[in-house]
Amino acid sequence: MAIISFNNITKNYKTGFRKKKTALRDFSLDIHEGEVFGFLGPNGAGKSTAIKLLLNLIFPTTGKAEILGRRVADREIKKLIGYLPENPYFYDYLNPIELLSFAGKTSGMDSLKIRKKTESLLNTVGLWSERKRAIRSYSKGMVQRVGLALALIHDPKVVILDEPMTGLDPIGRKQVIDLILKLKSEGKTVFFSSHILEDIERVCDRIGILVNGRLVRIMDIKSESLTRPLEEIFIEEVEKAGGARE
Amino acid sequence: MQRSLIIPIFAISLALIGSAFTIDKVSSERTELRQKEGVGLIMPSAVAQIIALEFKGLFADIVFSRAMTYYGGKLIRKEEPTDEEWNWIYRNMDVATDLDHYFLDPYYFGAMNLAWGANKVREANALLEKASQYRDWDWTIPFYLGFNHFYFFQDNERAAFYLMKAAKRPGSINLLPTLAARLSYQGKKTENAIIFLQEMLKKTEDKNVRWIYERRLTALKAILFLERAMAAYHERFKKQPEKLDELIAKGVISELPQDPYGGEFYIDKDGSIKTTSEMR
Amino acid sequence: MTAVWSVALITFKEGIKNRIIFGIFIIALLLFAATTILTTLFMRDIVKVAVDLSLSTVSFAGLLTLLFIGVNLFGKDLDKRTIYMVISRPVSRSQYLIGKFLGIVLLSFVVVAFLGILSAIPVILSKRFYYYPEARFDWWIYFIAVIYIFIKLAIVSAIITLFASFTSNSFIALVLSLVAYIIGQSTESVRGLLASQVEKIDVSPILSYMVEIAYYVFPNISAFDLKTQAAHGLSINPSYIIWTALYAIFYMTIAVVIGTLAFKRREFP
Repeated sequence: MAIISFNNITKNYKTGFRKKKTALRDFSLDIHEGEVFGFLGPNGAGKSTAIKLLLNLIFPTTGKAEILGRRVADREIKKLIGYLPENPYFYDYLNPIELLSFAGKTSGMDSLKIRKKTESLLNTVGLWSERKRAIRSYSKGMVQRVGLALALIHDPKVVILDEPMTGLDPIGRKQVIDLILKLKSEGKTVFFSSHILEDIERVCDRIGILVNGRLVRIMDIKSESLTRPLEEIFIEEVEKAGGARE
Repeated sequence: MQRSLIIPIFAISLALIGSAFTIDKVSSERTELRQKEGVGLIMPSAVAQIIALEFKGLFADIVFSRAMTYYGGKLIRKEEPTDEEWNWIYRNMDVATDLDHYFLDPYYFGAMNLAWGANKVREANALLEKASQYRDWDWTIPFYLGFNHFYFFQDNERAAFYLMKAAKRPGSINLLPTLAARLSYQGKKTENAIIFLQEMLKKTEDKNVRWIYERRLTALKAILFLERAMAAYHERFKKQPEKLDELIAKGVISELPQDPYGGEFYIDKDGSIKTTSEMR
Repeated sequence: MTAVWSVALITFKEGIKNRIIFGIFIIALLLFAATTILTTLFMRDIVKVAVDLSLSTVSFAGLLTLLFIGVNLFGKDLDKRTIYMVISRPVSRSQYLIGKFLGIVLLSFVVVAFLGILSAIPVILSKRFYYYPEARFDWWIYFIAVIYIFIKLAIVSAIITLFASFTSNSFIALVLSLVAYIIGQSTESVRGLLASQVEKIDVSPILSYMVEIAYYVFPNISAFDLKTQAAHGLSINPSYIIWTALYAIFYMTIAVVIGTLAFKRREFP
């Protein structure tokens, strides 16, 4: 059974009176249990749109998206999903403890479990010593790491990360990659987008390339190792599809 | 999607019915409450009421303080306000008390200064009438009204009416019914005025107003002294003196009292004691 | 219910830790101090002046809190997409909106409770030093007036919630809320003015019709202003309290539920 499935989704945005922009065109994709799927594409290709559809933040114009066989509008499935938005922004005056406690409570955890999980997660992302500071004093990389902890607090089956590596230094990126590999070893399904090719190549089982709202290629890089560098394939696909917009 | 709408639509319908019902109830309750506060306004007050939003009390304070500051400035510069300025002060007090019908200070300030300072007793009484209507627990207001009618208008009947009204309010002094009864005796005018003023002095702390009262009281006491001397003269010689000097000449009194207003006492044609200063 | 309460709680925490609230408290404290000094300038009705200034300060500080912090609590969520963190969890949009509303109500409750108690100090001082025996004053009525300031702020919070549910940025929500507040504060006076002056001025039927509509659409916020009653210790009928409180509850329900309906359809790209 597919953990995440997009079925013939088209998404149009209104950009003005009678003007619209198509962000996704007839988009279909299945992601399987326990797999790490990397979503690759130039800026503005529609990666974030696809992810936001999964979280029910925006609604598809046509088609449907499902997680674990249930419509994404179903609130209950969100207990099983961990999500890190692109460039996350959290409440300025709260500290990570308060944020994680909120996240845990809304996901139905009891306070003892929240406390234990908070400590281990903040240690993993290296923020335990900073836990009492308000988020507004955090650097961009630290905020990103708080976001990761928030996505993982409730031990979700499916982890969806939108550009988790942006804004991080090489050490931070390494930490995120290790984290993804750890999640994979725990049997979780990870779906993430990025435009940093080497990171994707290191951790992914499969890669999807999205250009101008269309899924142009899916590659299984674990079973059939790449004959050519990923960068070459990527540029070729983008050019075939008529180049990146803008 | 349709099922998720059932609860909100049900809640809205219920709340709309409830709101439509309560808003009418609120309107009628408001009318009642505002009647106690008073409605039916003249234009400037009405505008002020709208602009003041919820800060009507604050606006009343501001309007009142502005007029008071202006008047105070005049006093310091030793200038007498013109007729126009007095009218402006009266209007300010009127607006301030329209914004806050219970605000004692503008009533008090307006009534005292308009009656004693500007000789605008009619305006002063208008303010006091309004005060009496709203501050319906405060006996001092009809008491002042009674005094004004008695002293400035020589209308003893009206004065007695207000004094009886004051007597019915809580905390009023026991003297009021007696005073009201005494007013029917024309001859006791000066004595009655002294009793009034002594009571008013007891309720007054403001230095300016006290000074006004005390000066008037001294003058009235002097007049009463002279009236009594005249009565004694009349009893002894069976005729009225023509001049006050005769009282000293015949040994009824040793000297003439001073007029605190700086005038000279004399006997008027009708036989009453007057002063050249006219107590002004 | 856990979801609604959790959202309310972080909303409240984010609001109460905001630095602006210190500014508002300092302004309020300065105004209380000024009240104590200003009252000495009046002659007799000093307690009235003290009550006016104290209650106006509480109300003003509450409004500042709502307009600067309350609106911003929605504003940041929607403008900077903090909302992703909330609705990507098992929290429905209705729960989010109701929780947010309750959080802001809680914030205004704490502000009014804190300043309401502090506001008694200038009144106590003025009563102690310049009490005029003919003045009427009653602490019960004073605190009913404070509670009514809170009810008024709760209604303003509901209006902010409604406008934030469909406007695309928080500044528009702020302006709309402010306009609604001013209209709600003045419809009753305008209506009374039109009713009392029909013979003197020519009132166009369209104007009086519009005023009538505004009276029913916008909340009658002036019904929750009991400062005059508190300043002079005028009694308030129990029926007045019952009907205005019910009216407030119904009005808030309508505003928030309409807000949730609009919010359900909203996308957050």
